[in-house]
Amino acid sequence: MISFWDVIGRSESGPLVKEKEFDLRVGQTARRMIEKYGIKYDPEHVIPADDDLADRVYQAGLDLFLELGIYCRDTGRLMKFTQDEVNWALKHAPTTVTYGQGRDMATMTYRAVEDPKPPFCIMTPVGAPVAEERFVAMVQSYVQEPLAQTFSSAFSQTVHGRPIKSGTPQEVEAAIWNVIKLREAARAAGRPQIGIHNLVSNAERTDAILAAVQADFGVQPNDGICIAATAEVKIDYERVKKAAFLRQSGHNKYGLYGPLMGGYSGGPEATALVHVAHHFLGLLAFEAQWHCGFPLHIHHGCNTTRELLWLISITAQALSRNTHLLITANTFAAAGPCTEMVAYEIVANAIAATVAGADLDLAAVARNRHPERATGMEARIGAEAGHLTARQGVTREQANEIVKQILAQYEDRMADAPIGKRLDECYDLEALEPTREYIELYERVKEKLSGFGLDYSLL
Amino acid sequence: MNVNAEANLIEEIVEATVKYDDKRCVDLARQAMDQGMDPVKVIQDGYSRGMQIVGDKFATLEYCLPEVMLAADAMDAATEVLKPHLMKSHDHDSQGIIVLGVIQGDIHDLGKNIVKIMLRAAGFTVHDLGNDTPVRQFIEKAEAVGADIIAASAILTTTMSYMPDISTILNELGLRDKYMIMLGGAPVIADWAIEVGADGYGEDAVEAVEVAKNLMRKKRGG
Repeated sequence: MISFWDVIGRSESGPLVKEKEFDLRVGQTARRMIEKYGIKYDPEHVIPADDDLADRVYQAGLDLFLELGIYCRDTGRLMKFTQDEVNWALKHAPTTVTYGQGRDMATMTYRAVEDPKPPFCIMTPVGAPVAEERFVAMVQSYVQEPLAQTFSSAFSQTVHGRPIKSGTPQEVEAAIWNVIKLREAARAAGRPQIGIHNLVSNAERTDAILAAVQADFGVQPNDGICIAATAEVKIDYERVKKAAFLRQSGHNKYGLYGPLMGGYSGGPEATALVHVAHHFLGLLAFEAQWHCGFPLHIHHGCNTTRELLWLISITAQALSRNTHLLITANTFAAAGPCTEMVAYEIVANAIAATVAGADLDLAAVARNRHPERATGMEARIGAEAGHLTARQGVTREQANEIVKQILAQYEDRMADAPIGKRLDECYDLEALEPTREYIELYERVKEKLSGFGLDYSLL
Repeated sequence: MNVNAEANLIEEIVEATVKYDDKRCVDLARQAMDQGMDPVKVIQDGYSRGMQIVGDKFATLEYCLPEVMLAADAMDAATEVLKPHLMKSHDHDSQGIIVLGVIQGDIHDLGKNIVKIMLRAAGFTVHDLGNDTPVRQFIEKAEAVGADIIAASAILTTTMSYMPDISTILNELGLRDKYMIMLGGAPVIADWAIEVGADGYGEDAVEAVEVAKNLMRKKRGG
């Protein structure tokens, strides 16, 4: 057995290492493991159907984690673990997590590779920037989607007309406002008790986030908060403080990991191993109940490129085949709302993740940074593709053929992807519905996808 | 030393930098100085050109971040050998002096570190303030080192709100005309950067170098 406080204790007693040395060690160790386990990215097999490869990725990721440990930035120490400790944590990892109350209750459970059970669908603008006056509308556009099982927040650029600055009193005010407005959006959508998986997206400091976790503000006992690894296989106390609070408050918590392909880890294979290792990090250092991954391309800031789709698929298969962890893939698309490209990117990502045993977190679009560019429609597009992939019983081989055809629709435009339309340009804000233009665009894309093998008549 | 021998040595330096061979980079720097070569030329045509190739390889992901870091370290080690000779030559002119940091409240420094490497490779003198840097600290450092450019990055929407303060506080202090302001980072977009008083915006490290060069031309009246 290894307890949370045993783990944290190691951040105060493990070996001292300079941060830069650790950063370089990540890539070196990953390269060695790739060679040892013969792991090779194959652009023709975007969705690999090789169980042995998936198992080798898992074992290599585990070996990498055991050798590297977790780096604690506050103390400059390595937190090392034994295989028995990791196995114990895996064995006792949650098999389900429930959000929401009453008729809005939803439970995330383990999914297998090629599981016919539809993926759990989280819907969120992933902190996309939006004007204060349109915050509720943007969030509501996600909550009202029938396939949404939990939701979270956009990023209001101001609160009460004032910009939000991290570490200031305004950040605390903004975090509380954020929670109140999220529950307001849920009520407006007629789903008053739907779960919020990440309560605060507009505060960075833990004191501000925790100040907002109050029933009086509309927080339910099983709403939750994410805890992020700060960089490749690293943590810091500011974020781990959330785990210390949440394990006592009883709210749900999940780990958030965004390794950069092309960054400290290296290429797709190395980043895949580091991504697997992050799940052990989250399990041990955060006591994460489930795990949300958003590996990104270091230059394109999205995860819909060919290499990233491979990475997402092989890591989900590796984890799904070897653990019962609850794993989720967070789509980051390069293109923005109301473009064919964004629809294709999201569908490719949803298929790659679903067939590999992951659940879906939908969706950051327009590289998650262009104001007003995120709508519930993108989440709908991804969720429907995920549901079809599962319910149709799409195999990995079939998924590979479908995704390759989808990639041909957009992959030459990654660098200059269109940022798309603003919420008020592609939604009727009175009715809060997608415009005819956006609906027709999706219909055209669905027709094309039907030709590739997705059977939209099953919806 | 004849022209051909110099050219060959320069090519070896480029190659050693691209291969991030730190020992070879240092040896070649010593060799170049022993043979009386111009240290400025050695840096510009040798190590900096090597780093430009490294940057190109990073852009296509033929190289990833560790290779870029190792190449930068190799160049730094060689530059240490060249430093005393640079001081003697008196004509080593930096492309410009930049104070660089991650803005207050933000600890994500990967992007800033890549930008630093590429700016230094391009011949800029970079003073790195690290992460979580208050705006006043950017300004104090800029004043202390006679900077040309103040460059800040943010990766969080909650921290980028500090960026407008750079221009505001410089204006309040009557210092705005002394510095060019450059902003970047994941949530920052060009229109917003200009709106909040920046003179330039870099989408990525490669663009940041070009923007810094343009700002220097503007500042020097070119």
